[in-house]
Amino acid sequence: MITKPIIFAGAMALIGSGAMADCENTVPVKSLTNAFPAYVIMTDVMKGCGNFEAELDKDHRLKVQDVLSSDPALYTIVGVANATSVPLFDQELVRPLNDLIEKHGQNLNENQFITIDGNVLAVAALFNTQHLMYREDIFNDLEIEVPTTWDEVFEAAETIEAAGLVDYPLGGYYMAGWNLGFVFVNHYLGEGGAFLDENNNPIIDADKAYLVMERMKTAASYMDPEYLVSDTTFVTKQFQQGKIAIANLWASRAGAVNDPNESTVAGNIKMAAGLMGSAQPASTVWWDGWVVAKNITDEEAEAGFKLIAAAMDPAVIAANNDAAVWLANGFTPGLAAVGAAATAEAGAPAYPATKAMAVMHTALGNGLSAYMTGDKDAETALADILADYEVAAKEANLL
Amino acid sequence: MFVGPSLILMLIFIAAPLVTVFWNSFYVTKPQYEKVEVETCTPGFPKPKCTTAVKQLPLLDENGKVVTETSFVGLESYINVLEPNRLRAALEALDWNALNNIEFWQALRFTLLFTLVTMPLVIGTGLLIALTVNGTIQSIKGPVIFVSLLPFIITPVIGALSIRWLFIGDGILTAALEAWLDRDIAMFAQGWTIEILMYVYRVWHVAPFAFVVFYAGLQTLNNDTLESAIVDGANRFERLRYVVIPHLMPLIIFVLLIHLMDAYRVFEEIVGFSSQAYVISLQWLTYDFLMPDEAGTRSISRASASAMLTMVGIIVLLVIPLRRAWRDRRKIH
Amino acid sequence: MSVPKSMEKPFWLKLLSNGFLSLWCLLAAFPIAWIAIMSFKTPFDAFSPNPFNVIFGPATRSLGHGLTTLEIAAGLALAYFLVVLALRWLPRQVAHYTPAGYGAFGWLVAALLFGFVAIILFLVVIPAVTGPLNPLLGPLGRDILGLTTEHYEAVWIDRNFVRNFGNSMLVTGGVVAISLTVGTLAGYGLARSGTDLAFWLLIVALIFRALPHSVLVAGYLPVFIKSAEILRPILGEFAPTLYGKPWAVIIVLVSINQPFTIWMLSSFFQNIPSELDEAARVDGCSHFEAFRRVIMPVMWPGVITAGLFSFLLAYNDFLVTSLLLDARNMTMVPAIAGMFNRETTASDEVQAIAAAVSITAPLFVLVLVFQKQIVSGLTAGAVKG
Repeated sequence: MITKPIIFAGAMALIGSGAMADCENTVPVKSLTNAFPAYVIMTDVMKGCGNFEAELDKDHRLKVQDVLSSDPALYTIVGVANATSVPLFDQELVRPLNDLIEKHGQNLNENQFITIDGNVLAVAALFNTQHLMYREDIFNDLEIEVPTTWDEVFEAAETIEAAGLVDYPLGGYYMAGWNLGFVFVNHYLGEGGAFLDENNNPIIDADKAYLVMERMKTAASYMDPEYLVSDTTFVTKQFQQGKIAIANLWASRAGAVNDPNESTVAGNIKMAAGLMGSAQPASTVWWDGWVVAKNITDEEAEAGFKLIAAAMDPAVIAANNDAAVWLANGFTPGLAAVGAAATAEAGAPAYPATKAMAVMHTALGNGLSAYMTGDKDAETALADILADYEVAAKEANLL
Repeated sequence: MFVGPSLILMLIFIAAPLVTVFWNSFYVTKPQYEKVEVETCTPGFPKPKCTTAVKQLPLLDENGKVVTETSFVGLESYINVLEPNRLRAALEALDWNALNNIEFWQALRFTLLFTLVTMPLVIGTGLLIALTVNGTIQSIKGPVIFVSLLPFIITPVIGALSIRWLFIGDGILTAALEAWLDRDIAMFAQGWTIEILMYVYRVWHVAPFAFVVFYAGLQTLNNDTLESAIVDGANRFERLRYVVIPHLMPLIIFVLLIHLMDAYRVFEEIVGFSSQAYVISLQWLTYDFLMPDEAGTRSISRASASAMLTMVGIIVLLVIPLRRAWRDRRKIH
Repeated sequence: MSVPKSMEKPFWLKLLSNGFLSLWCLLAAFPIAWIAIMSFKTPFDAFSPNPFNVIFGPATRSLGHGLTTLEIAAGLALAYFLVVLALRWLPRQVAHYTPAGYGAFGWLVAALLFGFVAIILFLVVIPAVTGPLNPLLGPLGRDILGLTTEHYEAVWIDRNFVRNFGNSMLVTGGVVAISLTVGTLAGYGLARSGTDLAFWLLIVALIFRALPHSVLVAGYLPVFIKSAEILRPILGEFAPTLYGKPWAVIIVLVSINQPFTIWMLSSFFQNIPSELDEAARVDGCSHFEAFRRVIMPVMWPGVITAGLFSFLLAYNDFLVTSLLLDARNMTMVPAIAGMFNRETTASDEVQAIAAAVSITAPLFVLVLVFQKQIVSGLTAGAVKG
């Protein structure tokens, strides 16, 4: 892993140079976040300020709502992404940060703020999206152009398969459940489709949906047949072991695929823009960042926010430049960020995070696997997904 | 007086949640919403994006809590789980595939099959190991028992993961199978191979328990009985059939009962092998309803209904052995 | 012990049964042995589809982590010496230092100490001795087996697994102690009462045992998180937050485990003749005294077996501990799951494997020490259906 030595080196250098002196913390602060490297980096910096305790948990979404709605809140600051932030914003469980930004937010920039009706409710730390990664050496050998649409990807995959240079030309995070649903959401948005109207009634365009499902099946035919258990880590590993040549993958993996400690093909994997649908890029834009609990004292909130600001100090970001596509100041886009930047420029939409969409996403993730295995045809699968959505949405009073 | 502390613990931590689950399965608690127009700005790359849209927000009371309304829905959640209309349609058309596409029945099918297939395998393997270990020379008994117990004591999550590591993708055992059969094999690419892996894993994991119980039972087997059987001219098989097995019968029932309950709860395998695309179990179904999605919505009512149905299932399965126990008891008193 | 002629096995049966036994032992040990091997390699070797790469670790070796022929020879010699020592010398020391009746606990301590010394010898002493010798020996001093302990270092030092280990010990110890105290009393009470009520209680306990745990646990989570708020009207300022507290998890695990414990112990007590305690009561003992003086001395085989099952449940639990504990109090098993997250890398996975092996090691020791007790406890009638 590239990031790890850098994390430690970075944190050490900062402690050594005394850059942390101004983040001295006296009020006990606890954080609950996801567990990926960027959060490890930030919470390590916070630990250096003292009186801080971090909980890194990949299943933090199971607890986030409950721990923030209890009084007093069990955690001072929480790391959320755009989808997990929805219930927290809706139920007003997080503290507006405008006053604190005024006082302590000199290092932060406006592009980091998630603002609702003028209240800054979260401060984003990093940006994430999905984009094309490909084996440059194979593409050069076979004289393939870098594809920009899925049809071009299939052509390239055909050529690569015929040449037999890798086990499977394509990789994809098609694991049943959230991942599989997410693949559909991306493709369908790329075709310009919409999921729900303003009353949360499903308005899925059947023709577009069938087209997308058909395309997912085509893509799967170029993949390892175990694609329904393949998550992002599995795809990354396939890249590292030289088993695949193309994948549309999360930008946050761009560092890992070229990590010389793990990858047999380090340096050969290049990034390009996310693939285009007929209407817009078939990728969605995500952010990950911090919120401050509402049910705590002002003193604690201030201490928590100071830590957040300290963790996104430009020096910290610069020291860990390649660990993520940072939104914070101090970031210089490197090779790994090329794909993410290009995808965002092409106009990739934000993931449509709402409560009803989360229900739809779950229904899609569960319902599509029967289509992928061939147990259901496209019509039945889509009808079942919509029926499933209706039951779940009614139970949650969204319909 | 002796039973008190234990009873209190079970009442608070098992019976009370159970009553809540029962109650929840007939009620639905819904948050109330209002519609508000809000402007939202989110980070873009490189510039922020702002949109104005009408959003459905939960109503909050003066304490900042979400206003909810709980209503009695009768059997609606049960119907949503069981989907009787689709069941009837599938049964009338004799369409196995359609039946298998209804989540609950798919889960029930696997759970029952899993329980029934692994049961004889566990008992048989356990008995076989116990008999061979019992018959082997004294000096290697210790090490053999030690090795045999390993699959039983290993943490289930870790056991399932290690099997997964051995088989997923070009895992070492898949590669070995490929070399042996000279063809490309993907163990996680279709339902039946995953199912077989699950059966094998469960037998591997539980057979040692059956073994050690049976082995302990064999230690109390009276040598005189065996010798008199030999005098009567019983051959090896007859001795096993008429002396050893009857002696072990209560233990076999015990292992059977324990295994029945554990196998019916099958869950770790589904998660460990991430098999939900192909096979799901009843407990997994409940778990899936219970887990909040990204925006924190849980299907509490349907989860409760499915939990109650699972409970009913295990009671039905336990009725036969329990009636037996009751009758035995009647005889004694 | 001589075996009667007619009981002796014919040759083919011997062959068959020995063959079966070897096959079974291989099956039983292979997955565990294999992940142990994987845990010592770099990710590149550990996930290689070629078994020889996994065993010999060429990529690990090329990074300069490896064992030379000399080191392997020294290691094997030391291992042999330690095994002999463990079989000959250790039993005498244990017998010498532990009071009668506590043999098993003496063994537990001895095994832990012994293991610790062995680790020091292997990891510190051998490299110190062979280090200067290797360059002098030519081909014998060259690496032939790739091996690295970096993942163990990462797990135990960087990821602070020691704390998780401590938490595991706390939770497991608590569960075993409370579960046995409460369970022994209840099991004894139920075994002696003989009423229909007692019978039905056992049946209800049995049905409780069959309940899916996820249903129970999901019911606890919101209540545990908000317990301070809920209990405040009753307890005022002292209302505790149950979420994240090891003792709350201990109580939950004890409750979940109660049905099995009382079930097992009550059938064990049924095998102890009730004349024993009746005689004591005739002599003027109260119920409790009879229990303490007459039953306690003879109940240990059954209690130890029940204790082992409680230990396994608590030590191996994932669902309850992962949902109800926070990071500071997390036990080892859910801590592993934290190494598999949305952004896992292959190094994380090998670290998880190393952690998995670390978790299994204490179980090894446990079985090694208590193996006889398990069998004798079960023989003594802890399970009679």
